[in-house]
Amino acid sequence: MRSPDAVVVHRAPLRPLLAKELRDIVSGRALWTMLLILCPLVGYGFFQAVALYGEASSAARDAPVLAAGLSPLDGVLVPTFGALYLVVTLLFPFVAIRSLGREKETGALRLLVQLPYRVPTLIAAKMTAIFGAWLAALVPAVSALVIWAALGGHLYILETANLAFGHLLYGLLVGAIALFAASISESSATAAIIALAFTIGSWVLDFALAGQPGVLEWVARLSLTQTLRTFEQGLLSIGLLLGIVAAICGFAALSAVWLHPGVPLRTKFVRSIACVAAAAIVLASATRIRTSVDLTEDRRNSFPAADQRALAELREPLLIMVHLAAEDPRYVDLRRNVLTKLERVVPRLTIRLATTGQSVVGSSSDEAYGEIDYSYAGRADKSRSTSPREILPLLYALAGRPVPPPAAGEEYPGYPLVAEARPALLWFLGALPLLIVLAWRWLRRAPQIAQPIKDGDQP
Amino acid sequence: MIGSTAIQRGRTAAYVPALMEVAGVTKRYGEQRALTDVSFGVNAGEVLGLIGPNGAGKTTLLEAIAGLLPVDDGRILWRGTPPALLHRRDFMFYLPDGLRPWDDEYVARLLEFFAAAYGRPARITTEAIGALGLAPVLRQRIGALSKGYGRRLMLALALIAPQPLLLMDEPFDGFDLRQTREVMGVVREVARNGRTLVLAIHQLIDAERVCDRFVLLADGRIRGIGTLADLRAQTGMPAGGLEDVFLALT
Repeated sequence: MRSPDAVVVHRAPLRPLLAKELRDIVSGRALWTMLLILCPLVGYGFFQAVALYGEASSAARDAPVLAAGLSPLDGVLVPTFGALYLVVTLLFPFVAIRSLGREKETGALRLLVQLPYRVPTLIAAKMTAIFGAWLAALVPAVSALVIWAALGGHLYILETANLAFGHLLYGLLVGAIALFAASISESSATAAIIALAFTIGSWVLDFALAGQPGVLEWVARLSLTQTLRTFEQGLLSIGLLLGIVAAICGFAALSAVWLHPGVPLRTKFVRSIACVAAAAIVLASATRIRTSVDLTEDRRNSFPAADQRALAELREPLLIMVHLAAEDPRYVDLRRNVLTKLERVVPRLTIRLATTGQSVVGSSSDEAYGEIDYSYAGRADKSRSTSPREILPLLYALAGRPVPPPAAGEEYPGYPLVAEARPALLWFLGALPLLIVLAWRWLRRAPQIAQPIKDGDQP
Repeated sequence: MIGSTAIQRGRTAAYVPALMEVAGVTKRYGEQRALTDVSFGVNAGEVLGLIGPNGAGKTTLLEAIAGLLPVDDGRILWRGTPPALLHRRDFMFYLPDGLRPWDDEYVARLLEFFAAAYGRPARITTEAIGALGLAPVLRQRIGALSKGYGRRLMLALALIAPQPLLLMDEPFDGFDLRQTREVMGVVREVARNGRTLVLAIHQLIDAERVCDRFVLLADGRIRGIGTLADLRAQTGMPAGGLEDVFLALT
C-alpha cells in the first residue's frame, strides 16, 4: 500500500516535457550546424540534378520514346534527397545524441529520472524532439521541391510523399540508434562512435557484401541504407515498413532499458535480451510479408495492368530456377525487370539460385549457366532472356493462358524539362542559410518573465 | 553494529517509527567497498547531517538511497515498507552536488518546467525565487550563472519539488559566509514547514549550525549517530564541538 505522504503525480503533463526536449535540441549548436551544412549540399545536389535532367531532356524533346524514360523521381528527387541521406547518416546522430548525451554528461539525467514521468515517456519525448529535428532538416529538400515545381517541373504526389516517408523512417531509425548509443555511453563522444559504427558500418555492408549469396546476402540486408532503396524505387513495402518500425521501437525500448542509472546491470541485460528477442520476432515476421504498393507514376515496379491481372490469377506454384551468379549483371537485370515484379503479383512463387556460392568466372564453363528454368502446373520451359517481353509469354504458355492484349493509354509520357537552376543556388547558399541563422537567434532569445515571478516576492 | 543499534534504540525509546530507514546498505566498486553495512533512520521533520571527509561515501550513500545507484546489499524502507526502485521518487527528491544541468536553458524556463512537471502552483515558484534571490538571473542561461547562483538554482528546484524528504549533497558548497547563513535559514524554514532533510556536508561547522542529528561516516562505515549531545556522551567529551567528536570517533 502506498504511504499517505507519497507524492504521486498521476498524470504529469506531457507538454512541458516535450517543450523542454524540443528546446534542448534547438538550443544546441549541433542542429543548426547540420542545417547550415545541409543547405549547400542539397542546393548543389539539386542544381546538378536539374542540369543533368535538362541535358537528357534536350535530347528527348523530339523523341517520345526517350521522353518516356525521364522521370523526376530518378532524375531530380532521389539525387536531391541524397544530400539529406548523407547528412542524416553522418551528422544527424550528433543532433540526436545531444538530446540525452548532454544530460548524462552534466548529471541532469539524475534530476530527469526523478521527475514524475515514466522512463518510456522520457524516451518517447526525446524521440519526438528527434522527429522535430528531422523535420527541420527536411526544409532545404522541401524548398528544392518547391523550386522544382516553380521551374515547371512535374511532381507526382504519391511517389514524392513515399520518398519523403522513406527518409523519415531512415531518420527516425538513425535517431533511435543514436539515442540507444547515448543511453549506454557515459560520454557523447563514445555514443557518436557507436552510432557512426552503425551508419558507416552499413556502407561497409553495402560495398563489401552486396550481391554475395547465402548468409552474406542476409547480413547485407541488415544495412540501414537498404531501408531507403525500396522507397527510392517508388515502392511502399508493408514488410519493410513493419521491419523498420520494429527496429525503431526496438532501439527506443533498449534506450529506455539503459536510461535509469539505478537499475542493476544484470536487470538491464535481461531486459535487453527480451527487447532484442521481441524485435527479432517482428523482424522475422516482417520478412515474410511480401505485400507492397507501387506508388510510381510510371508503374516501374509493376507489369502493365493487363499482365498484372493475368499473373495474379496463376494459382498453381510457379518455380523459377536461375542458373546465374548473384553478382552477374544479367541476374541483376532479371531481378529488376522480371523477378521483383513477379514477386509482387504471383501468389505462389519460388525463386531459386542454382549457382549459390559460385562466381561468374567459375560458372562460365557450365553449359547451363545463364539459363532460367520455369516450372508451372507440371509443365516446364527454359529461357536465357531477362526481358519481360519474352518471359511473360513463356509463362502464359506454361499456364495455358492467352497473352493479354495491352491496354491503351497506359504509356508513361515522361516529363522532360530544360530549366536553369543556377539562380536557386542563391537561395541555398545565401537566403536559406541566412534564414536559418535568424531562426537560430530568434529561438535562443530570452523568455519573457511574468511580473510576480520577476519580483520573486518573499514568502 | 552502531547504525542498527541506533535504530533499535530510537524505536524502543520513542516508539516513533522512522520516516525512512537505511538498512544494511553495502556498495562495492570491484574490490573496493564504498559503503559497508550502513544502517540508520531518519525521523520526520528533522535535519539529518551526513558528516564525513571527502571520500567517506556520502554521495554514494545519497545516490543509493535515492535509487540512482544500484547497491550490492541492503534495503531502503519508507515507514517500514521497501518502496520499488522507481517509486522512491514519490517520497524523496535528491539534489546532487555540483550540478549545472541543461546549461543552454534559461533559468526561468527550467523553474517553470519543474513546477509544471510536478503540477505546482506559480506561487511555489515565486516563493522559491524570492527565498533564494534568483530574480536577477531569471533571464540568464544556466551555463552563464556564477557558481553561487548555480547552487541557488538547484536549491530552488528542490524547494519546488513536493516530496516530503529532501536529500541534498553539499548544499552549502559554493557559497560565501553570508550566503551560507542565508541558505541555512532557508533550509531551516523548509524543515519548519514539515519537510525532512538529509544533508551531506563535509564542513563540520556548517553541519553543527544547521543539523538536528548527525550520521558520522568514514571509509564507508558509520562511526556514530545521534545529536551532538548524544555524540558528546558517546565520546566522553561534554564540551566538545562536532569537530572534536568527529575526530574522536573516526
